[in-house]
Amino acid sequence: MELPPFLAEFLQALAAGVTVGGAYALMCIGLGIIFGSMRVINFAQGDFLMLGMYVAFYLTTGYGILSFLGPYGGPIVAAFLAGPVVFAAGWLVHRFIVSRVTGAGVAASEGAGAYGQIIVTLGLSLILQNGGLILFGSTPTAIRTPLSRSSWEIGPILLNQARVVSFLVAVALVVAVYLFLARTRAGKSLRAAADNSTAAIYMGIDVDRAHRIAWSLGVGITAVAGGLLAGSQSFQPYVGFDFVIVMYAGVVLGGLGSILGAFWGGLLIGVVQQMSTLVLPYQLQNTAIFVVFLLIIFLRPQGLFGQITERT
Amino acid sequence: MKKGPTRREFGSGLALAGAMGLGFRPALAQTKEVRVAMIAPLSGPWARQGQLMRMGADMAIEEINQKGGVRALGGAKMVLVVADAGDSTEKAKNAAQRLLAQDPDLVGGTGAWLSSFTLAVTEVTERAQLPMLTLSYSDLITGRGFKYVFQTSPTAGHQAAETLPTALKLAESATGKRPKTVGILMDNTASPTSFAKPLREGGLEKLGLKLVVDQVFTPPLSDATPLIEKVRTARPDFLLLLLSAMPDNKLVLEKLDEFKLSKGRLPLVGNGSPLGTPELKDTIGADLLEGLLFSVADWPFKGDEEIVERFKKRTGEPWMTQDGITAYGDMWILKEAAERAGAADRAKVTEALRALDLTSGPVALSFPGPVRFDENGRRVDVPMIFAQWQNGVPVTVFPPELALARPYWIKEA
Amino acid sequence: MRASVETKRQVWAILAVALVVLGVSLGMQSAYYQLVLTQVLLWAVLSLAWNILSGYSGYFSFGHAVFWGLGAYTVALGMIYLDLPPWLGIPLGGVIGGIAGAVIGYPTFRLRGHYFALAMLAYPLATLYVFQWLGYQEISLPMKRQAPVLYMQFADPRAYVVLALGLLVIALAISLRVENSRFGMALLAIKQNEPAAEAAGIDTWRWKMRAIMLSGALAGMAGGLYAVVLLVVTPESVFGMLVSAQPLILALFGGVGSLWGPVIGAAVLVPLAEGLNGELGDVLPGIQGVVYGVAIIAIILCAPEGVYWRLRDRFTKPRPAGIASAEPAPSMPLSATAPAARLEESGELLVLRDIRISFGGLRALDGIDLIVREGSLHGIIGPNGAGKTTLFNVVNGFLTPDKGRISFGGASLAGLRPNQVCRRGIGRTFQVVRAFPRMSVLENVIVGAFVGARDHVTAERMARTALDRVGLADRAAAIAGGLTTRELRLMELARALAPLPRLLLLDETLAGLGHEDLAGILGVIRQVREEGVTVLIIEHTMQAMVQLVDEFSVLDHGRLIAGGRPEDVVRDRRVIEAYLGRRWMDRVAETAA
Repeated sequence: MELPPFLAEFLQALAAGVTVGGAYALMCIGLGIIFGSMRVINFAQGDFLMLGMYVAFYLTTGYGILSFLGPYGGPIVAAFLAGPVVFAAGWLVHRFIVSRVTGAGVAASEGAGAYGQIIVTLGLSLILQNGGLILFGSTPTAIRTPLSRSSWEIGPILLNQARVVSFLVAVALVVAVYLFLARTRAGKSLRAAADNSTAAIYMGIDVDRAHRIAWSLGVGITAVAGGLLAGSQSFQPYVGFDFVIVMYAGVVLGGLGSILGAFWGGLLIGVVQQMSTLVLPYQLQNTAIFVVFLLIIFLRPQGLFGQITERT
Repeated sequence: MKKGPTRREFGSGLALAGAMGLGFRPALAQTKEVRVAMIAPLSGPWARQGQLMRMGADMAIEEINQKGGVRALGGAKMVLVVADAGDSTEKAKNAAQRLLAQDPDLVGGTGAWLSSFTLAVTEVTERAQLPMLTLSYSDLITGRGFKYVFQTSPTAGHQAAETLPTALKLAESATGKRPKTVGILMDNTASPTSFAKPLREGGLEKLGLKLVVDQVFTPPLSDATPLIEKVRTARPDFLLLLLSAMPDNKLVLEKLDEFKLSKGRLPLVGNGSPLGTPELKDTIGADLLEGLLFSVADWPFKGDEEIVERFKKRTGEPWMTQDGITAYGDMWILKEAAERAGAADRAKVTEALRALDLTSGPVALSFPGPVRFDENGRRVDVPMIFAQWQNGVPVTVFPPELALARPYWIKEA
Repeated sequence: MRASVETKRQVWAILAVALVVLGVSLGMQSAYYQLVLTQVLLWAVLSLAWNILSGYSGYFSFGHAVFWGLGAYTVALGMIYLDLPPWLGIPLGGVIGGIAGAVIGYPTFRLRGHYFALAMLAYPLATLYVFQWLGYQEISLPMKRQAPVLYMQFADPRAYVVLALGLLVIALAISLRVENSRFGMALLAIKQNEPAAEAAGIDTWRWKMRAIMLSGALAGMAGGLYAVVLLVVTPESVFGMLVSAQPLILALFGGVGSLWGPVIGAAVLVPLAEGLNGELGDVLPGIQGVVYGVAIIAIILCAPEGVYWRLRDRFTKPRPAGIASAEPAPSMPLSATAPAARLEESGELLVLRDIRISFGGLRALDGIDLIVREGSLHGIIGPNGAGKTTLFNVVNGFLTPDKGRISFGGASLAGLRPNQVCRRGIGRTFQVVRAFPRMSVLENVIVGAFVGARDHVTAERMARTALDRVGLADRAAAIAGGLTTRELRLMELARALAPLPRLLLLDETLAGLGHEDLAGILGVIRQVREEGVTVLIIEHTMQAMVQLVDEFSVLDHGRLIAGGRPEDVVRDRRVIEAYLGRRWMDRVAETAA
């Protein structure tokens, strides 16, 4: 089927945007859980993403632990496994460092917590990036899988398989997280702590623990996104930087405190990023993200799905 | 100097003397060492490049000293002092300044891989009158009227003028037809920008080429789909690939494969050494790279086999790239300059560099063409080297006198 | 202004530091150390600039790189294309930085907290890509061998130290001036409680804009000098995330919101990072970043607000943050400033006609008609959710009604911002007391007095008078964060009274008070009315209100269902049904009988 060139380009860009947006959506959900529950701006989120990439890499191409699953299954499972590994790392980080500057106890003391959070997460980011350099070396690397260069064809439109897989995984995880937050006890306590930590304490909810779960879950999910990306692109220890603004744009776009919002926000950012090339010079791809980001903040600061909660 | 020193030079000389306690050493002093600097990124996103440079330089230093050091100075040993340019121009400048302040005996140096780092570093070394060699391609580096910068690579503009005619000739002799249309895919860093500028401003027209797709992106690329879609729609006879980072290379080459434009359907001509790295092969596989032709300022050529073997054995790297061989060569250049200068003295070494004209020896083995510099510090009469991926290794294929294999224009199977 | 003793001390400190820096620079031999010193000074200036906006006002900017970068490019491009000497280029960079501050502040100040910070994050990064696209990936300042001094290309690196030191002194002087003036007090009030500041008459918008413009201008000049020092400008090096993070880290480390914090931060962290790079950079690449990260985490865990505050808390007695003078000024005699005596014939002071406002589908106010007579004590009562606070927010200017008119003293209040409403003569307290917790009681009230006072001395006198009126004069020096509920209510009352308003809006001032406290506050309110101030008070406890007010309005589900004298209202059938319940009716019937 022959499509007029502009239409083919349009649909192709849309397809690329949606599939790229899948991974973005997943990492945004991770950030959204942290931001929504703890109101912490985690500058190190991109570096946990990087950790996820390396964990997935070492499980497959690096040490070949999962090579028995083949070049298709291995990377996907590796991405999933990156989640729990980074979850555990995040647990420790929160327990010993982050919790000292976040949470209910800190929120009560005026201002102190907010400052500490920023420095601590910035410091964490430095440690992870540079520690990564020491451990993993500087050579850019990637997971070898034929998924990254194969595609399914729908007419003239090509859907990259690796990207589609990450999109599907993202959707699956969104549903899982949503159910977790809505149905399980742990999830509900998380939401209560997010809504009103002081009240939650009075209700007997261990806010500190709830935050720890939120933090670890947040970095773990973002790590899975990293693992999925590791099959599509190459990376090195400083790669986290490139994704921080994408994540924040997506979370704010979708609305603070809304998991569904984070999903749609990330997806939308992917679409904007890829489709902006239809009308703007390719070089301004990321500027388009910022413009959309700023527009949303001004016109609808609560994002697509969030709520305004400020009261006089 | 023929005229007396200008006020500024006098001033900087004083500052030098005051700040570093050393300016002009008597030539006959017994020197035990010839100290040279390397300022390169050893941490940060470009750490890999710096490490490769260091490996090449270390090997050269070892050889030089094993063979007796700098004979004109009584067998003085060469010593390499390394500083980390880090991940920002500020760190690069600080590294250069630190090195100069802490090591006043330096007579020459090389660095800093990334052209913006090189610009920053040479601002320091120029004022300290330390001669610097660099492999950076950017035209601006030697376009500032500096006297102490020596660019071992031909400028990007020069490379552009050389790359295309050769590629076209190759295509014509292989397919019988001269390509009429071309596409450009590039990132917006300095080297590709200087490479493409003269082409867009009439260079392509002169060669009878029509530019049918021209895409510039800001690295790092997030996804190559819209890019390659545009290429697919335009269907140029061949594509110029001007990418300076490995991650972007992977995305573009794999996307070309995905869109069924690889393996001969769309001939690729590239520029720059990132297209020849082992990590590229590790991440996307040799089969996708087969036949990829790229021009590069320097690559191991005929006659270098022994050097390359030693490098491979020493470092475990599968082959030697531009970074390794130029750093290796830089050390030999400095050694030769020190020999001719007859003294471990910056000014004399600089003069010697300017007067160099080497066509044999380890220096000539490290760089294509004669090693001589014009008054701007640019090399003259440099043949453009082309390398091509053949059987999983990028080998020099052009010019014929330097080639290690024969080039072929990739044809659709 | 702040006691001149304190200011003088700071000025001497600034001069002393400048001399020390000069001395160090003269003594140092190494050009490398001079370069690092120059960088310490430049980053300190950026951090001070950041502090002026974010440290004082609490509006955290993660995007100050945009000003720095614009300044750097102004100087660089100016020199390349226009042959502009940096002596002109740097001030021009400052101007552009200031304009950028205005352009950015105008839309972005509509946001608060995290949203503001994140929006600021976007500006430099977006600009980065634009500059790359424009082709300015790498520009280098041309070497001017013929006229080096004109183009700030000095052979002696000490010249740059002197220039940077000059900028630092300017930045410190500006910060000191801000701290000691109305500017600083406004920013501090905004930081601690913006709605309260607004309602107390502070034009928060204007002060924030001034802060960001000043901050941007200073940052722009520092960026310009940075370009001169580095000689190479790339988008990444001046607009990058690390550049935005640096002033933050330095200020938070050194002591945010203080004069010396950024300087301390720069003096410690910049050489530390550079030293780590130098010593460890080639030994184990990456270790310097790890060490630096660990260092800043460790320090911030020990001193969460920064080194300066930690040291100050340890070595000095806690003083309230703010600018109250040491000696109390005599309070003004009441007669000299008492408002017009209560009119025998009370005119209509506040008139609301058909006020409607909806949120989403909920009609919060559904056609309110209300007249408050001058000199009266008027109560508004109603169950929770009836719309009482919303009504106040509409009068006050925090909310704009969908329909209807409000007039005060004959003039319309439509479209006025809360601080302008305050200036017209309406004071307000809030349902949840909005104190400035780190300031003293007196300072809290002074904030309110500034509306009516030209200078600090008058403001302080008005504040003390207000404190006398409410009976809180003995607690003037206490820190507001430690007050009891009763004292907090009285303080808020005093703050609202300080500018001598005609109308006072009291929002549930009596809630949660015990019997004794209640009697005390009722007494104060009555006294205030005696002195001629009209009072409109919201409550939902009938008992207290009945004793207090002249007139009553009952609000239910956004509508006024009854109004009039207390004895009439409590007998109104609709009121009883909606609000009081049968028991009350029986009791009323009993007492009547």
